[in-house]
Amino acid sequence: MKRTGILFFPAFDWSLGDSHPEREERLLYTQEQLFEEGILDLPQIKQYSPRIASLHEGLRAQALFPNPGVHTDSLDAHLIAAGSAILLGEARVSGDIANGFVLARPPGHHSGATVWGNRGFCTLNNEAILVNHLRARYGIRKIAIVDTDVHHGDGTQDIFYHDPNVLFISLHQDGRTLYPGSGFVNEKGGPNAWDQTLNIPLPPGTGDEGYHYVLENWVLPRLQAFAPDLIINSAGQDNHFTDPLAAMNLTANGYGRITELLKPDLAVLEGGYSIEGALPYVNLAILLALAGEDYHHVREPKKLDRPVLALATLKPYLEELKKQHQTIKPSFTIQNKPFFPKGNWIYSPHSIYYDTEGFQETRHDYIRECGQCAGTVYIESRRSLSSQKSMLVRIPFQACPACEQAGYELWDHLQHHSEDTTSGLLQNQLHDQLTVWNRKEGLREF
Amino acid sequence: MSNRVGIDVGGTYTDAVLIHDGHILQTAKVPTRSENLVETLMDALDKLNIPNEQALNQITVSTTLVTNAILQNRIPPVQLLLFPGNGMRVDALPWPVSYCELSGDIDFRGREIEPPDLSEWGKLLIPNLRENPAQVAIVGKFSHRNSLHEQQLASYLRGINPSLSIALGHVWGQANFYRRSLTTYLNLGVSNLFQNFTEELQSAVSTRKILAPISILKADGGILPIAKLRPVESIYSGPAASILAALTQNEPTASSIIVDIGGTTTDIGLVLSGVPLLSSKGAQIGPYSTLVRSLAVRSIPVGGDSAIRATDQGFVLENFRLGPAYCLGGNIPTPTDAMRYLGLIDYGNERLAEEALASILPIERRTPEFLQELATAIIDTVAEKISEAVDSLKQEWQEEPAYKVWEVLHPQEAHAFNTLVSGGGARGMTTALEKRLRTPIQLGVYPEVSNALGAAMARPTFDCTLHLDTYMKQYQIEETGEQGVWSGSLRPYLEVEGFLDTLAQQQAAFYTINMENVDKEPFDFFPIVKGYKTVGQIVRGAVHLRSGVIGRIHV
Repeated sequence: MKRTGILFFPAFDWSLGDSHPEREERLLYTQEQLFEEGILDLPQIKQYSPRIASLHEGLRAQALFPNPGVHTDSLDAHLIAAGSAILLGEARVSGDIANGFVLARPPGHHSGATVWGNRGFCTLNNEAILVNHLRARYGIRKIAIVDTDVHHGDGTQDIFYHDPNVLFISLHQDGRTLYPGSGFVNEKGGPNAWDQTLNIPLPPGTGDEGYHYVLENWVLPRLQAFAPDLIINSAGQDNHFTDPLAAMNLTANGYGRITELLKPDLAVLEGGYSIEGALPYVNLAILLALAGEDYHHVREPKKLDRPVLALATLKPYLEELKKQHQTIKPSFTIQNKPFFPKGNWIYSPHSIYYDTEGFQETRHDYIRECGQCAGTVYIESRRSLSSQKSMLVRIPFQACPACEQAGYELWDHLQHHSEDTTSGLLQNQLHDQLTVWNRKEGLREF
Repeated sequence: MSNRVGIDVGGTYTDAVLIHDGHILQTAKVPTRSENLVETLMDALDKLNIPNEQALNQITVSTTLVTNAILQNRIPPVQLLLFPGNGMRVDALPWPVSYCELSGDIDFRGREIEPPDLSEWGKLLIPNLRENPAQVAIVGKFSHRNSLHEQQLASYLRGINPSLSIALGHVWGQANFYRRSLTTYLNLGVSNLFQNFTEELQSAVSTRKILAPISILKADGGILPIAKLRPVESIYSGPAASILAALTQNEPTASSIIVDIGGTTTDIGLVLSGVPLLSSKGAQIGPYSTLVRSLAVRSIPVGGDSAIRATDQGFVLENFRLGPAYCLGGNIPTPTDAMRYLGLIDYGNERLAEEALASILPIERRTPEFLQELATAIIDTVAEKISEAVDSLKQEWQEEPAYKVWEVLHPQEAHAFNTLVSGGGARGMTTALEKRLRTPIQLGVYPEVSNALGAAMARPTFDCTLHLDTYMKQYQIEETGEQGVWSGSLRPYLEVEGFLDTLAQQQAAFYTINMENVDKEPFDFFPIVKGYKTVGQIVRGAVHLRSGVIGRIHV
């Protein structure tokens, strides 16, 4: 029998604030619905219990700045959500289950390669930590992440932007109309991973029919061409027509169909804040679709009563978008600093806003152009209104010898010659070694 | 002080025990006459030769009456009427009984989403339900949050046919529509059978001028007065009794693996710091998944009388019995023969045991050396099967789902286990089990009447789980299905504690249970937010009187 795993971790004792959307109540009605349906009595469903991820597992995907220690008090819930994703991912890779649903709080897809705090309700990126764990431990090569949350998965994009072995596809409400304001077609990947990021911004009002059309005519062919070993769905539920934060028109049934089309190995809950009108029904539909059961009887009580964008209107928009996407060619700036190891370093500046606490991160990213591997990444990061400057040096999975060497040289330079840097992380994915450096405390392995 | 009788009705024998102040005064064993359980029970009582029956304080019965009626499919037909609402297809789950689906929908907050369709009732139901007598179970999805549709249909049907016997699902107030439906069905289906048993037993007891109240042992190891029991809760009381028997011989706060080795079946349970582990799901009986709370027990088809078959590679331990052990006059080698040959037990014919083992070996290897090796291998195989079941039970306990951060950060601590072995096959297995389980092993006393002992010493269990929704102004109690109106504040704190205490005391009084030593679970508070304002709370809380025994047995 093909088994479907579920890891239900509603974090009933954790919230980001009393009346915050990310609060204890968020998955309460989902629990009521799933348990009342008797879904755990379906013979193909297997329930798993959560575990906490280690900092080592977290640091494989993300740098915690200025150092992991300042975050540890607020990290527990996030580490459990990430650990839960890992646990179910391992069950999938070991063949214990055919697919699974990580139905856990808190979400993660706005959390990027460098983390100074919580943004968009996310501190740790559950899918990214999972993906890098499966690559480090199980040697999985190619993974696709399809983000169907209504918001652009900017954090996940940031983490894998230079990684040719991870295809990242995000479908979302157009960034000109919704947080975080990114995710346009021209964001197509770094110099060594061009075209491995695909953003499909959709106009507000898109409904089931339009969404499925995009999946069938753009996303699925792209997935098929990439031929990944695993497909992970960042299954945000805020495209639902009752969502208070967004303006799309999908139904619970529409989500069931998305799951049926994508056939993800794992679905991981992201956002979705219509906690009564949508979540119990959308979660049920996704789980039933994964388990190969009929989801057409799942109906939310409220009827869709706003106008849905007609497919006839959406089609020309998509044609135009596709055309734009095809015409965009790589254009990168080379900027070599005096201490950089040999090679061409592509420069890419970023500014990231942390809405939860209200501050800005300024980043200077440099990527070693490489035809052999994903290329070493060097990131300088500063938090606004703070003198602290932190560095991330990433030696990628399957790094070539030149990129590996470049990583060590940068790491060495950071510790001995970089006067204004407070701390740093050597993210050595090649050897699964994670070293944190701190000007005051020196080196520490995680 | 107290004189207590425990009687355990088993498949073959019925055992009884008389206890006075923690001392076993008498034991008795009579054959079970399954066609007349009341007479069997009275036979057992008589055989105890109770000097002063009027002075008895308590009689507790553990009976397979309901278990067997269900497993042997001796339940009269019950009409099952469902309000499945929206959601998963009803037939996604395996239904061992037929049902009729009606329209009407309630949601998880207990709000009516779609009213029932009265014209449907007229068309579908009236032709079937005019006949007498009929039993009807009515169960709605989310009826544990709002029983409105169940009540409406029940009163409609009573109007058509006042003699209908009707059961409503919401009284089984835990979430799970599927299990609630089957539990309601079974409980109604066995109710007449159990009612007759109760009446006969009570009249038989009262003709002897015995005044002691009669209690029935439940699957969760607790007892209830016979008149207050929901019959389906009496299933699987046998395995519960064997775990309780072990508790009477153990340190009060010890953590133990309980192994009860019978002729064909071995029951395994876990006790954690003195409290038997409850199964996280309701009991499964035959094809029925229920909401009946039961102790987590693994029953495996291995025992002292399991048949052993010779093969080219050696032997196979079958999972069935073909009569008694060879050394006790049977026709087939069994683990009991191996125990006898090795001198681990002192009953049975030694020469026959050797003959049984020899029959498994080729002629040229029938020497003491090989016989010894074979006997040891047989016992190790039994120990291995038991140990695998112990491991899987421990795993179930350690992998119980966690829904809170605190629970994940404070996982089940490791317990230092001891093992208590009882039952007919116990004595011969201690050394092998000690080696494999790597825990100290203790042999139970009175293994021949241990279930009766467990029944006699059992105490009541009691649970009262509150779900309060202050915004909807309603509350429900899981165990009884009570649904009421909340008139307190929107964000209660201390208020809800007193509220639950009062409800629990009322419930305990109804069951005549003493509320000492109850565990209170910390409350969970869920603020309900609408438009960035907190408009109410959902509060969950519970009190429990866990299963256990009234004291130790002095040997």
